[in-house]
Amino acid sequence: MIRRECLELMAPLMTDQLVLSSQSGQRIEWFHLAPQHEGNLLVGMMGCATGVGMGLALALPHRRVIVLESDGSVLLSLFNLPTLGNLNLSNLTVFVFDNEVYSGSTMSEPTATAGKTDLEAIARASGIENAVTVHDVEGFKEHGLPGVTGEGLHYVVCKVEESLIHREIPRPNVDLAEYKYRFVRYIERTEGITVPFVGLG
Amino acid sequence: MEPILAEKLVHGLKAAGIDFMTYLPESRLSQILPLLREDGTVQLVGAASEQEAITIAAGAALGGKRVACYMESTGPYVSAYSLLTVGKQMGVPILLLIGFLGSFADQRNSFLYVTIGMRMIPTLEGLGIEYRVVEDAENLERHIRDAQRVSDSMRQPAALIFSGEFAR
Repeated sequence: MIRRECLELMAPLMTDQLVLSSQSGQRIEWFHLAPQHEGNLLVGMMGCATGVGMGLALALPHRRVIVLESDGSVLLSLFNLPTLGNLNLSNLTVFVFDNEVYSGSTMSEPTATAGKTDLEAIARASGIENAVTVHDVEGFKEHGLPGVTGEGLHYVVCKVEESLIHREIPRPNVDLAEYKYRFVRYIERTEGITVPFVGLG
Repeated sequence: MEPILAEKLVHGLKAAGIDFMTYLPESRLSQILPLLREDGTVQLVGAASEQEAITIAAGAALGGKRVACYMESTGPYVSAYSLLTVGKQMGVPILLLIGFLGSFADQRNSFLYVTIGMRMIPTLEGLGIEYRVVEDAENLERHIRDAQRVSDSMRQPAALIFSGEFAR
């Protein structure tokens, strides 16, 4: 299984979900597959997307928040897992596309998950009951897609082969500020609220 | 911190419209936590790391909350990465409330805190975080509102750093 196969299955299911991606190859693939989805937000650096997703899920408890992570990004912020387990947010799904390498290193340096580290086990030990690992497309359909449209806290570790498809895709010409404002205006419109800091004249 | 100062601090946060706060507790300002919990106006979220506390607060701000993040003076070091990437690069306002352990006016200063405290303001300056040091309760409510307004206007984190009477 490669990451893009999972993302291709997710894209047609987008309605009003809020989708955050960390800075890894999946952000290029996802924003290429679902460029029109106004609920997309790029969180510019590794290790921050799950935290931002938790904050959004707390602020908007009736909206499904989906976080697209990589193994490298999760390993950079393992402190998220106990917080996630204890908050037990019913509207948050975290997909970890675990290819066991730092693709961005350009030489595929292995991550800890290529060794003995098991992210699902860490998640479970942190209190995330609905943590699973999927190894193929059928497993992703069964255990991953319910996290796109369903309820509850989902933590889905997707074991994927390293794929360099994202390097063939033109990089989005949208910067972090433009993503942020588009995202916030979308929230304002769909929630009927004014986000305080962008409402100031 | 005297109980009356904790009450004034909580009152000032509510008056500034803060309705969401992440935190890692410390020793100088922690009396605000039970007051906030009892009051219920401000949604409190404990974090495992100040770096995480910044990201959770940022997410809540994007979702429409007016947010604060409470930490001790080690917090800016631990959270420097998320302050820069999420706070400044993406541009999200977060009111930072920092217990200034190890500062000149820290009434409980010791060898444990002083090295960290003395380098904290240069660290904030290096990160480009605007700040104000508060040592007594005079004009406290205005200071909080001013800092919150600066943070909102800049679309960036801004800090209130509490020492002196707050650090007893």
